[in-house]
Parts: sequence; C-alpha cells; structure tokens
Amino acid sequence: MTFVHQEVWHWQIATYLFLGGLGGATFAISAVLHLFEGCDRKMLSVAVMSSIAFLVIGTVFLLADMLQPLKAIYALTNPRSWIFWGVVFINFYFVAAIAYVIPLLEEWPMLQPIIQKIPAPILGLLERFNKLVALGGSAAGFLVAIYTGLLISAAPAINFWNTPALPLLFVISGFSTGAAWLLLLSMLSSNPGAQAISAKLEQLDAMLIVTELIILGAYFNFAMFLPTGARASAEFLFHSPVFIVGFFVAGLLVPLAIETWGIFFGGHSEKDKPKLTMLLASALVLVGGYLLRIYVLKAGMFQYPW
Amino acid sequence: MARYGMVMDMRTCVGCQACMAACSTENQTPFWSEKFRTHVEDKETGTFPDVRRVQLPRLCMHCENTPCLSACPTGATHMNKDGIVLVNYDRCIGCYACCIACPYDARYAYDSEDVARERELYGKLVTHDVPHVDKCTFCVQRLSEKLEPACVATCPTHTRIFGDLDDRKSEVHKLAASGKAQALNQGLGTSPKVFYIPS
Repeated sequence: MTFVHQEVWHWQIATYLFLGGLGGATFAISAVLHLFEGCDRKMLSVAVMSSIAFLVIGTVFLLADMLQPLKAIYALTNPRSWIFWGVVFINFYFVAAIAYVIPLLEEWPMLQPIIQKIPAPILGLLERFNKLVALGGSAAGFLVAIYTGLLISAAPAINFWNTPALPLLFVISGFSTGAAWLLLLSMLSSNPGAQAISAKLEQLDAMLIVTELIILGAYFNFAMFLPTGARASAEFLFHSPVFIVGFFVAGLLVPLAIETWGIFFGGHSEKDKPKLTMLLASALVLVGGYLLRIYVLKAGMFQYPW
Repeated sequence: MARYGMVMDMRTCVGCQACMAACSTENQTPFWSEKFRTHVEDKETGTFPDVRRVQLPRLCMHCENTPCLSACPTGATHMNKDGIVLVNYDRCIGCYACCIACPYDARYAYDSEDVARERELYGKLVTHDVPHVDKCTFCVQRLSEKLEPACVATCPTHTRIFGDLDDRKSEVHKLAASGKAQALNQGLGTSPKVFYIPS
C-alpha cells in the first residue's frame, strides 16, 4: 500500500472552489434575506454583483488550469460527471443572479442610463418576478456551493476526499464565508437598512461556524479511524501549522469568539458594536475558508495498492 | 467483439523496463518529461534479513466500471466495443477530473510543452497533435493489425500475457479464471481487466 500526494489539482482549483462556494453562498443568503428580512436593496445589489464577480473570477481560474480551455463547451456532454452538473448549476446561477440583480441596480442613479436601455416589458417582468427569481437564486447558489465539494469527492482512491462529509463541510464553510462577506458589506455600508441586518448575519455566521466545527469533528474522527489514505491525510493536516493556526484557530475559533462576544455582550445599538473587531472576524473567516480548500487539496493522497 | 485484458505474471518480471521503452516508442509518450503509459514499480518488502524485491508492472486497468469515464465531463474518455478505455484527444479539455478519479495512477497530462517537443522529435509523424490527458490504449492501432500491444511483444520474460478474456481457449482467459491471478484494488468495484499473479 502506498500513499501518494495528489499532484493534479493545486491552488488554482482551490481558488475556484473557494470563490464558487463564496459566490454561491453570498447569492443564496442575499436572496433568503430579501425574501424573509427585506434587506436594503442597495446592499443586496452590491452583494449579488460581488457574488457574480467571485464566480467569474473562479471560472477564469478553472479555465486557466485546463489544457484546452477553449473547448470547455464540451463539458456539457456527460451527465454522469459532476463537472457537467457544475456547468449547469453555474449557468443557472448566472442567469438567476443577473435576472435578480437588474431591478436592484435601479437604486444606483449612475446606472440608470444603462438600465433604461432594457426594454420596459422585460424590466417590468424582472421587477414583478424579483422575489420568485430570488427563490430560484437561493437554490442555484446552494447548488453551486455544494457542487464544489461533490466535485472533489468523486475520487475513489483519495479516501480523504471520497466521503459524504466533504461536500457538507464545503457547503457549510461556503455559507460561512458568504455570511462573513455579507457581514463585511453591511458593516462597511453607511445605509441604516444594511447595518440593521448585521446582527442577524453575525448570528448566522456563528451558527455556521459551530456547525462547521461539528462536521470537522466527525470528518476527522472518520479519517483517523481506519488505516487508510484518509488517516495519512488527516495526519498531514495535523502537522501543517498554517492549517491549524491559519484555518482552525484564526479562521474558525477566533471569529467564533468575536462573534459570540458580539452577540451576547456587544450591545444592541449600532454605536455599541465594535466595528473593527467584527470586520476582522469577517476577514478571518474568509481567509480561513480559502486556507481550508488549499489544505484539503494539498492533503489529498492517492491510496495505491502497490 | 472481444473483451481484451492482460495478466501480469509477477513471478517472471525482472524489472528490465523494456515494456516502458517499447510503449514509449510505439505511442510517442513523453519520455523526455518522464511520463509513461506503463511503469514498473520496484518495491522492497519484508524486514531485514527477510527482505525481497518485487517488480510490479502497471498500466491502465481498462476497468469495466470506469471511474475515469464517469468523471470525464466531455465524453472524451470512452470505451470501445472491445472494452478498451480510450481518450478522444480532440474532445479532451484537460480538466484532470479523470486523473483524480483513476485509482491506478494510469493517466498523465500530455501538455503543450510535450506536444511541442514531440513535433521537434517526430516531425510530420506526430500522433499527439493537441494537449490532452493520455493513457494506455492496449496499443489499439496494433490490435487492428492483429499485433499484440508493444509492451507484450517486447517483454523478454513473458510477464505480460494479453488476449481476449472471453475466449475460453486463450491463455489470458485460462490464467484469469484460474484463481491464481487477482485484480488490484478489487474493493473499489472497478472490475479491472488487468490481473496479477503474485510472485
């Protein structure tokens, strides 16, 4: 039995997985906020535009890693492949996100001339069905976020990846980074409507981090239990200081502590909120999410029978 | 329609690597980048003083249940009527999903640098004209001319026995059915068509 580190997918794919999870989750959470909380339209438009940018940049990284990126359209050929479904989900996401964000962009006076070029009946339809599109968009965002985990779990000889826990970990981590990004936007916004939502995002992110810790516990318990490549991968991660300090401590425990403190002792008015500390917590969650994907890819080990 | 497979008799392999050279010559694999369709693993087993060296020749297992085929989004990886797993170079986008899915380390990237080097070496005779993921084809071009794969024809110790697994008269069928030969990583359910007789 030989354990060999995979040398196929590197930081470019980790970047794609991170931005896919972040973009998908940002849109999904924004859409849910719109549906159930009626969040500020200006902030929502910035959030969804940024999530589209994340997906575009992520896709560029994916294409840059391919041998023949100009033939990428062929990826819509085999429905047995997760990449096929990734392309479907991402396109569904782009259509939903663009259809959703156009009516929101009317909030920006400088974009009015561009928006007004869209025929009035189409604009009317987009406005009318905005909440329905938000509902579809939340599904699209979720599918994109979970796809990033499903993609790499389809590796029968990489035990550490080939587990149902990995898509769960990636989707929860993706939603945590999405909530952190929205928290960052809401804290930076001068609009009272956006600031009002920050307390909810803070609670959401704390709950997601706790869920992520539970999944991580189950995941590593599984990995350490059997003498397979999964154990070798888990041991590799335990001996990686950047993973332990950068992801686990700085990317999970510290933001959780800051957010928990904010929820229970941070005061209820906006003035009482320690803004800089919350911004730091959000930034740490984002960096941690990226490190998680880089290190999960690094830790992937083929278990060969020779 | 055949169901081609191979039996590796590890009792006779001496690790000369002639199979690797023959394959590389026949299929223009990028030996200059140390990438090969077939390898010979040289392993030491046991603890001193009870130690021994074992040679394990390996290549694509041409699985019946192919993880690489499932992972390939473009359909570039496909199985022909004789059960041989092939890659359509023009269809391959080089996403590496097949390399990640393969449990036998049987695939590698024939990248643009390899294509350029191949052009320098082989001129108009190039067979890999675009970057793609490459793997063993059981020398499908030779089979169509009723020739054995290059590695089998070259092997001086008759380690590699090739043929139709469904042909009851063939040596490969008899060995595969004898119980002496075992497939690797059987627990994964890939049903490989390459079997090993332990040394």
